[in-house]
Amino acid sequence: MHPILAYRGRLGPYLAAWVPLAGLLAGLLRIGGLTWLQATVLAAPLAVVYAFMCLAAWYPCQSAPLRGASFAKVAVTQLAAAGLSAMLWLFLADTWLVFLEQFPAFAGAGERFPRLVAVLLAVGVVLYVLAAALHYLLIGFGEARQAEKSALELEVLAREAELRALRAQVDPHFLFNSLNAISSLIGTDPVAARTMCLELGEFLRESLRLGGAVTIPVAEELRLAERYLAIERVRFGQRLTVEREVDEGAGPCGVPALVLQPLVENAVRHGIAHLVDGGVVRIAARCSGGRLRLTVENPICAGPTTRGAGIGLDNVRKRLAALYGSDASLDARVAGGAFRVELTVPASGPPVG
Amino acid sequence: MESGTVSERLRVAIVDDETPARSLLREYLSAFPDVEIVAECANGFEAVKAVEETAPALILLDIQMPGLSGFETLELLPCEVAVVFVTAYDEYAVRAFEVHAVDYLLKPFSPERLEQALRRARQRIGRPRGGEPEKLAAAARPPGTWPDRLVAREGGRVHVIPVDALDFVEARDDYVCLRSGGREVLKQQTLTELAATLDPARFVRVHRSFILNVTKIARVERYAKDSRLAVLLDGTKVPVSRAGYAALREHLK
Repeated sequence: MHPILAYRGRLGPYLAAWVPLAGLLAGLLRIGGLTWLQATVLAAPLAVVYAFMCLAAWYPCQSAPLRGASFAKVAVTQLAAAGLSAMLWLFLADTWLVFLEQFPAFAGAGERFPRLVAVLLAVGVVLYVLAAALHYLLIGFGEARQAEKSALELEVLAREAELRALRAQVDPHFLFNSLNAISSLIGTDPVAARTMCLELGEFLRESLRLGGAVTIPVAEELRLAERYLAIERVRFGQRLTVEREVDEGAGPCGVPALVLQPLVENAVRHGIAHLVDGGVVRIAARCSGGRLRLTVENPICAGPTTRGAGIGLDNVRKRLAALYGSDASLDARVAGGAFRVELTVPASGPPVG
Repeated sequence: MESGTVSERLRVAIVDDETPARSLLREYLSAFPDVEIVAECANGFEAVKAVEETAPALILLDIQMPGLSGFETLELLPCEVAVVFVTAYDEYAVRAFEVHAVDYLLKPFSPERLEQALRRARQRIGRPRGGEPEKLAAAARPPGTWPDRLVAREGGRVHVIPVDALDFVEARDDYVCLRSGGREVLKQQTLTELAATLDPARFVRVHRSFILNVTKIARVERYAKDSRLAVLLDGTKVPVSRAGYAALREHLK
């Protein structure tokens, strides 16, 4: 896209800038021996014509871009273009002068022309080079703006992906049920209702924040799970009990962000929620031999129930594979009336990400 | 007629496994002097028992519950009871209306929305839900999917029978007898209706009065010229008619 013609509002200032240039040209011609009248009548149309000719500097700018082409190429291309433009302009000036000579006011002007040739050529080259510089400037400006825009777009895309991940992560029914519980507590226990609002807000904020990181300390992941369980405990009451066993050394170990959360949600949604009398969700984090082991265990309903834990587990498995390759594992099994998921990753120091 | 029904007290049962959800309904309902809460249940089993004992006109029923789902619970309730589903899940709405629910409340909901549901329920009360519960249960499942368990009721007692454990089903007058591991449970339903809800990949009607779980068959013996006996893994013998044998052969091909 032409940096001047393609933008509304750029051609006007560009042409306006040529008005003083036309004056300058007339002045030079006056010094060259023409009368003010002769100089003005000669210079004005020449300036207008050259203003438009210089817009063609875009083509050489394209064929020799500042970024990509060597300095020599840029210099040769632009100087050649400058010379050609100036000569063509000179020819037009000569033609114009020959035409004007038929008027009495221009009698004898042609004789002075040979002395003006050098001046006009020099002015033509300089003006062209200025125009080329302006084109380069505007092109560079446009590119910078474009780069900024695409960087912004990339960021928006990344943020969208994160939100999508969060949407997949936070079960909407969890939100609906929580809101319903809050609605209920407002009537019976306003203080508890407020507490639950705060818990829910914190949980969502934390999910968003942690979702943006690659790896986070286990301690943070556990804190998020704790918040989630606190909210669910309001709904499930006595039916939901939580037992935690965390090695002292495990806390600072890094794990992929939001990898424990879906496992804990599954334990409630597919375990506790299906049991009339509820049960205990056991969460453990152990660190030994350079390995970090996270386990989530929940009792399950004895009879057949429809289970949908597969997708959540699949997601976790994929993320582990992407981050650690074969160095991480996820084992899920049913044993002794309980569903147990064990996740093993290399125990790293304080995580980066 | 309208004014006559409005002055009548509406007997309501609340069924939801979450305490806050029940107390919310209780709170909302307390604003209606003509509504009487006759039972509050935390699951489907309690609901079946409570409906038997208190005979509510309307039941406010959650869908996702431990033990029995709302739909399974409904299957076990007498069809005079009007039902309003109260759930956080909007994906069951179509199924809910197929089982002739009066209304479908999405959590969280407003008192006005509940009032609207109660108004609809009053108009419906006295008229039984269309169709028999079992047919409704069949309609309540997405096409191409089969239940993995069956529910039956004997008085206030509820039996849940995993379909995998089912050996065979025998027709007995207006009932079907569900046999699993030597245990028998009667359910008020016709064999044809039940057959429609069972996965044809596993269950074959081998006789006018018998549906057989093909995974439980040990062998088939010739019994008379035109009839055979299927011997199950536990030794039980089930008659197989000529047409049934053809169906079985077709299935095992």
